[in-house]
Amino acid sequence: MSGSNVWSRSREKIRLFPELFAQCTGEAAVYGKCVAATTTGRQELKKDLCAKEFEALKTCFISAVSDTKVQHVLKC
Amino acid sequence: MSSGLCLRVLRGSGSAPAASSGSWSRFLSRSGARRGLSGSNSGTMNVFNREMKKRQKNWAGSLQDGQQYDYLRDEVGSRVADRVYDIARTFPLALDLGGGKGHIAEHLSQVQPVLYPSSEIPTRCVLADEEFLPFKENTFDLVVSSLSLHWINDLPGALKQIHQVLKPDGVFIGAMVGGETLYELRCSLQLAETEREGGFSPHVSPYTAVTDLGNLLGRAGFTMLTVDIDEVQVHYPGIIEVMTDLQGMGESNCAWNRRSLLHRDTILAAAAIYKEMYGSEDGSVPATFEILYMIGWKPHESQAKPAKRGSATASFGDLSKISQPTNSNKS
Repeated sequence: MSGSNVWSRSREKIRLFPELFAQCTGEAAVYGKCVAATTTGRQELKKDLCAKEFEALKTCFISAVSDTKVQHVLKC
Repeated sequence: MSSGLCLRVLRGSGSAPAASSGSWSRFLSRSGARRGLSGSNSGTMNVFNREMKKRQKNWAGSLQDGQQYDYLRDEVGSRVADRVYDIARTFPLALDLGGGKGHIAEHLSQVQPVLYPSSEIPTRCVLADEEFLPFKENTFDLVVSSLSLHWINDLPGALKQIHQVLKPDGVFIGAMVGGETLYELRCSLQLAETEREGGFSPHVSPYTAVTDLGNLLGRAGFTMLTVDIDEVQVHYPGIIEVMTDLQGMGESNCAWNRRSLLHRDTILAAAAIYKEMYGSEDGSVPATFEILYMIGWKPHESQAKPAKRGSATASFGDLSKISQPTNSNKS
């Protein structure tokens, strides 16, 4: 299967992930700590237990994406 | 349905130097029995979609820059080759199950330049299913397998077949991933899915525990078993690189019960959890591969047997009576 298809496009998109993720290490650490605390503490992990921290992480990630897009547009 | 994983038949020429390069021939083996009806084993597990695994391996093999994903196989292949050399015997005919690009053979031909002056072992490549070996009984002196047994559905059956194709006093040396392999990835994905979606599904395949391996080999008829574990930890920049490398190695998930999609939120959450729970100071994350090495022999009269009961000539109680060497000069 040659040429561009949904799998090659998804693979290309996921390749951009690490760079964008690297711009949100602070929020990622906060979210990670919140979830990791459930593995040692008495509280069991439930859905949306750390929703607030995740929203912060997601907002940072989305802004990183739009920054990259803006940069791409400015480069052309 | 044959899975089409490549088996390599290695022919070691004892006296004459081998031809310049091994001849290759591939032929599909027609496996009559359908999966799920194999043999008389009731309760044969059908965990993995072998057809999917064949397609994944073909895709990984067709990658332009596939060599960058070979590091794990090369390392394990060299350790299996070490174990082959630890045995003080020559093996005229050997079978490499799931040989792929021949990671074991390249180490076998390098280490002993004296025996094989052309530094090439004649190899024949056979496309066959590991659970339906197309060979006669008592054919091979040595069977090796590196990092391919963990995709077999009926592992007891496959081990029995390996036992059959071995000659008496033949040896099987295998390496498979097992135990706690990729536990960091498994836990990160599980926690992320639970927190983001309220439930989780398996993303990492089930592995054989090292304690079960001895039983499996014993049931298949092997004697003089040796099983040991090696932990290989590889550091990656992040979870995406872990998954990309696993995909490039042809080790993508192919279990029937796998979920076909992973939400972006879950990927983001898993990346954060992986880094926080398992990351090291320099920002990299480790991925653990527990490699189980196993050596089993096909029984033969020449092999040492345990002594008969009641044939002891000395008692353990006599250990205390062994006389100490007396010191005549006490200084």
